[in-house]
Amino acid sequence: MEAMRLAGRALNISPSATLAIDARAKALAAAGVKVVNFGAGEPDFDTPEHIKAAAVESLRRGETKYTPVAGVERLRRAIADKLLKDNGLAYDPKQIVVSCGAKHSLYNAVQVLCQEGDEVILPVPYWVSYLEQIKLAGAVPVPVATGAFKLTPGLLARACSSRTRLVIINSPGNPTGVVYSREELAALAGIIVERGLVAISDEIYEKMVYDGREHVSLASLGPEILARTVTVNGLSKAYAMTGWRIGYAAAPPAVARACADLQSHSTSNPTSIAQAAALAALEGTQEPVTRMVAAFAARRDLMVERVRAVPGLACQVPGGAFYLFVSVESFFGRSLGGRVISCAADVAGILLEEARVAVVPGEAFGDPRYVRLSYAASVDLIEEGMERMAAFLARAE
Amino acid sequence: MEFQEAARVRTLPPYLFARIERLIKEKRAAGMDVISLGIGDPDRPTPDHIVAAMEKAVHKPEYHRYPSSEGRREFRLAASAWMRERFGVEPDPDTEVVALIGSKEGIAHLPWCYLDPGDTALVPDPAYPVYAGGTLLTGGVPYYLPLTSENGFLPDLAAVPPDVAGRARLLFLNYPNNPTGAVAGREFFESAVAFAREYGILICHDAAYSEIGYDGYRAPSILEVPGAADVAVEIHSLSKTFNMTGWRIGWAAGNQGAVGALSRLKSNIDSGAFGAVQEAAIAALTGPREAVAESNRIYQARRDLLVDGLNGLGLKVNPPLAAIYLWAGVPRGQTSASFAELVLERAGVVVTPGTGYGPQGEGWFRISLTTPTDRIREALERLAAMGPVA
Repeated sequence: MEAMRLAGRALNISPSATLAIDARAKALAAAGVKVVNFGAGEPDFDTPEHIKAAAVESLRRGETKYTPVAGVERLRRAIADKLLKDNGLAYDPKQIVVSCGAKHSLYNAVQVLCQEGDEVILPVPYWVSYLEQIKLAGAVPVPVATGAFKLTPGLLARACSSRTRLVIINSPGNPTGVVYSREELAALAGIIVERGLVAISDEIYEKMVYDGREHVSLASLGPEILARTVTVNGLSKAYAMTGWRIGYAAAPPAVARACADLQSHSTSNPTSIAQAAALAALEGTQEPVTRMVAAFAARRDLMVERVRAVPGLACQVPGGAFYLFVSVESFFGRSLGGRVISCAADVAGILLEEARVAVVPGEAFGDPRYVRLSYAASVDLIEEGMERMAAFLARAE
Repeated sequence: MEFQEAARVRTLPPYLFARIERLIKEKRAAGMDVISLGIGDPDRPTPDHIVAAMEKAVHKPEYHRYPSSEGRREFRLAASAWMRERFGVEPDPDTEVVALIGSKEGIAHLPWCYLDPGDTALVPDPAYPVYAGGTLLTGGVPYYLPLTSENGFLPDLAAVPPDVAGRARLLFLNYPNNPTGAVAGREFFESAVAFAREYGILICHDAAYSEIGYDGYRAPSILEVPGAADVAVEIHSLSKTFNMTGWRIGWAAGNQGAVGALSRLKSNIDSGAFGAVQEAAIAALTGPREAVAESNRIYQARRDLLVDGLNGLGLKVNPPLAAIYLWAGVPRGQTSASFAELVLERAGVVVTPGTGYGPQGEGWFRISLTTPTDRIREALERLAAMGPVA
């Protein structure tokens, strides 16, 4: 019915591109095609046993009712304890809001912080949903091109206008795996405080840092930046719990309250049973995390080596997360599988259809010169997928 | 501090139940044995076979991965099959059903799909606060449709001025109704569909209470009206039917455009519902129905107990045919707020002031049937002991 026109805002929203590739890869797999999936943004490990057991126990205790909107008290306290112990962040449990995944926490934060016309500084490349969430809030994304995938104080200062409201920092970063050092973050914090901006620090990949690097929380760098930062994190990546949908934000009291109020009008509490599982993840043994991170480090090295062995592909060695951001620019203007390649989406499309390897085109992250490869895949799959890619790309004319 | 909240959030009244939760906490901290007849959270456990399905499901590695935002196909099939069996309608599981993280999520996010700032939504008053809340958050403008006892708590759509109807984009309906307990018949839905068609308005019908009926009452679906899916989307929830409020699962069915737009929007907000919860929901939708019938019997007995008790105290209450609420007038000389405060202070009993659901709720209060029967008895005794309050 024509009269049911969508709101302008909704028309502007693209489906999450990372999920779209993933869906196409899954559809091919369901049709019996063997696809090597480097597209997924989630650990290939299963949720550790003790976490699943805690969910079952909570069911048996009958924890199937509404919980407080911002999460059960004990979970919020466990999160506050975690933030103090791991991140040097002193938050009261009242400042913690548990949501349906970190994506939902980010959505809430952007909604309460931004209004119509506010500018939000977004270092390129960026995680795809930041852009859509900013637009949904009626705010204006200001993508800032970066050198080595990192925002610098100079770039930040130059991007600021009188309308600038918010900066989004994501370290370790998706899609590039960059990890900001303490000094780099301190310099950014200086500008944020000086210009009176606020920041969202998305730290969902904090446990995935390699080569002895440390993860530094932006808000830990002093009281001024703490008072201007919403720290977002979650259970998905560290504990292989992407399906459970538990994320959280830690924020100054007024912001936390606003996020909880917004959530009370939109989703209520996150699933009660998943909250019990999250509590067990935080309070229980951290050994599975250590094991998973060690596996990721080895796979990263393997995948970097394989990528660099393919003529025409190039990548940095990422310090964190579980992605390689691989340049495919050298294929532009050349022909692959009978098709002239002009952007990363062409490369990703033809790789999926012809080589049966799923990668995410950089367009989804604001940079069409790259594709994102996830090494949250077994060593065998990495070997096989890279072989397929190498063989197929060798046919470029 | 620099954190000025965005205007859209400042316009939002604090969610009613959040405020009541805080108040109860204060009283309990002060040592009072508070009986809450406030929030509609079923007191009875989720049925065993659903819990058992969940226990199995949490161990399945596929559910440890991201769900899809539109929901598992098996879940959408189960929802569609359930609707066919229950209402004789059969939404296409692939294009006309989307899973929700609870019905509230669909209701709150639908306005983002259809309202630009300044656009009008028709919102009943009194009503579940999320219809107006979701509208205000998008920058939309609620136009309130009064629900009064004279019109059986059904909105008088003929009374909506044509210029308002002409610019309205959404119409929220909710039957069986929260907070009034009113029901809508097939004729009302037919007239609403005709109205929506005439003005090009999308109806969002919240059917969260469809399975809770008394004295043999079975609520219809708006989608039973021929052609309703052209103009309507219906929101279903497992929360009240299967005592699953904490699990957060429901679905939207009907208008293809609305279902598609919601799926697209959701992929940027929440990544979908936990797969294991969807599997438990399938067990609920395809499993035995005795637990639902048993809940209805218990609610009906509580309804009768409360109606008799309150009428005995001189408060006039009509027994509802459906949903889990009594909607009653406050004693003369009281306002909704003063009465709610009075019974909390003097009897330690929480009732929800009618004004929490909109200005038309003034003069009313809501009691939920989801409190254990012995506590309801005690609440009635305490109210009786207060003596005349008028």
